[in-house]
Amino acid sequence: MTYTNPSPQVSPTLGEPPIVSIRDLQKVFPVPGGETVALKDANLSIQRGEFISLIGPSGCGKTTLLRLMADLEQPTGGELLIAGRPADEARRERQYGYVFQAPALMEWRTVLKNVLLPLEVMNVPGDRVARAREMLKLVGLEKFERNYPWQLSGGMQQRVSIARALAFDPPLLFMDEPFGALDEITREHLNLELLRLWRETGKTVIFVTHSIPEAVFLSTRVVVMTARPGRIEGVVDIDLPHPRSDDTREDPRFFTLATEIRELLKKGHA
Amino acid sequence: MTALRPSRVAGLGPMLIVALIAAALYWPLMLAANVGPAGRTLASGAELDCRTALACASQLRNPVVPAPAQLAQGFVRLSTPVTSPLALPYNVGVTAGETLLGLLLATVTGIGLALLLVASQAFERATLPWLVASQTVPVVAIAPMLAVLLGQYGVQGFLPKAIIAAYIAFFPVAVGMSRGLRSADPLHLDLMRTYHASSAQTYRLLRFPASLPHLFTALKVAVTSALVGSIVAEISTISFSGLGKMLAENSRASDTVALWVIMGYGAVLGVTLVALVNALERWVTPWSRR
Repeated sequence: MTYTNPSPQVSPTLGEPPIVSIRDLQKVFPVPGGETVALKDANLSIQRGEFISLIGPSGCGKTTLLRLMADLEQPTGGELLIAGRPADEARRERQYGYVFQAPALMEWRTVLKNVLLPLEVMNVPGDRVARAREMLKLVGLEKFERNYPWQLSGGMQQRVSIARALAFDPPLLFMDEPFGALDEITREHLNLELLRLWRETGKTVIFVTHSIPEAVFLSTRVVVMTARPGRIEGVVDIDLPHPRSDDTREDPRFFTLATEIRELLKKGHA
Repeated sequence: MTALRPSRVAGLGPMLIVALIAAALYWPLMLAANVGPAGRTLASGAELDCRTALACASQLRNPVVPAPAQLAQGFVRLSTPVTSPLALPYNVGVTAGETLLGLLLATVTGIGLALLLVASQAFERATLPWLVASQTVPVVAIAPMLAVLLGQYGVQGFLPKAIIAAYIAFFPVAVGMSRGLRSADPLHLDLMRTYHASSAQTYRLLRFPASLPHLFTALKVAVTSALVGSIVAEISTISFSGLGKMLAENSRASDTVALWVIMGYGAVLGVTLVALVNALERWVTPWSRR
């Protein structure tokens, strides 16, 4: 098996400000008769071009952390900067595309029109249809542009939703368990596709998952989170070389890293 | 489009079986209903072409339930000349026109109200009880009053009936549409938020299209309500045309055959109007998988 050098975006330029900067971030939800600490004292710094996975059991705050970065929730404490700005400002400046756990395609729009949606909302100048078609080609669905979402399989729908998130060319891509509802075979195929997209587009990806192999396979770093209260237990550097392929899953180093993550998850459980 | 739609012809099979059973039961039930009055008519010594109560049961002048031949004669008598303002085709057209205009008024009012109800909680709290109350007043009681009121302002004839039809049809539209506008998927709302979409964009691109299935369900209820409304309005106000006017006339004349024929026309009109709304739905929502 041949390994090439890691792609350039994996090694960030020294001194460049982080694209995501999180300090002592906290989120407390009020519940009847008290409060739930969804996220406690999170600290994390993410460089441009990284592929970061947030992994942990349900209730560990990984989705909450992503929604805080996306300004879909507001923190109750700490500091959060996205591309050097507060999260709400970054959202208004359309710094990120968001892929949900469900494809969340609009059933009244064709595949092409779903990808066009953000371009319409943002009134992006130029040939929007050409741009949308280009995105569909990137995810290999250019032949399905006239179909309605229900005519596509779950995996294809999720690829449309990725094309939609990339359509307006945001520097950041937030993905909340995008392949969680798919079967193992489709998921591994889409993992490869996603890595190719990441390398071709140079986006910074923040990816929520509860699958250890998926996190190891995709990421440059894995953020391990544990529950009650939700917190960051540790960060594991994934030094597997790029480009990765199905062979990567057989690499002894792959297993070592997976074990390291598993130990961290157990530590939080004790 | 690779979608396979279930065959429509196959779907009609069970319906046809029910129709056949109803047709087979009609004759004996008709005889049973008429045999009593026929016996009494014979006993009164009236001159008839028939000898027994059973034989007379299908030939009464004002039968309780008309025989098929009587229905056919009545149908021809009331349907011709086709263009006459006294014949049924013209009057069905009048009622259909009132109903459709009423439905249009109801749709515009209902959607407008739904937008206000969804936009403002204060508006909802202040008006929803009154909207519900407006529907508890029997339309038969309200129709003459409205006709007199509108007559004061020179609104006469066709329009008051349409307004009365709209009065009972707007409510299901308002309720269905406000439910529809609230039915947008929370994920889609989050998605629009990540795009920093304006409220107007969220309504136009998300809430409104998401509400369409609810709107059409409401319209199917509303169109039958509107038909009831316009017929009741015709009966309970001064009318010179329409199914309701003909019903009132023939009911006073005890012309039961005519009443049955008018009822048949009314049923066909009702089914046609619902089919029209269904066709509109298929045209407006081509993505639907039905």
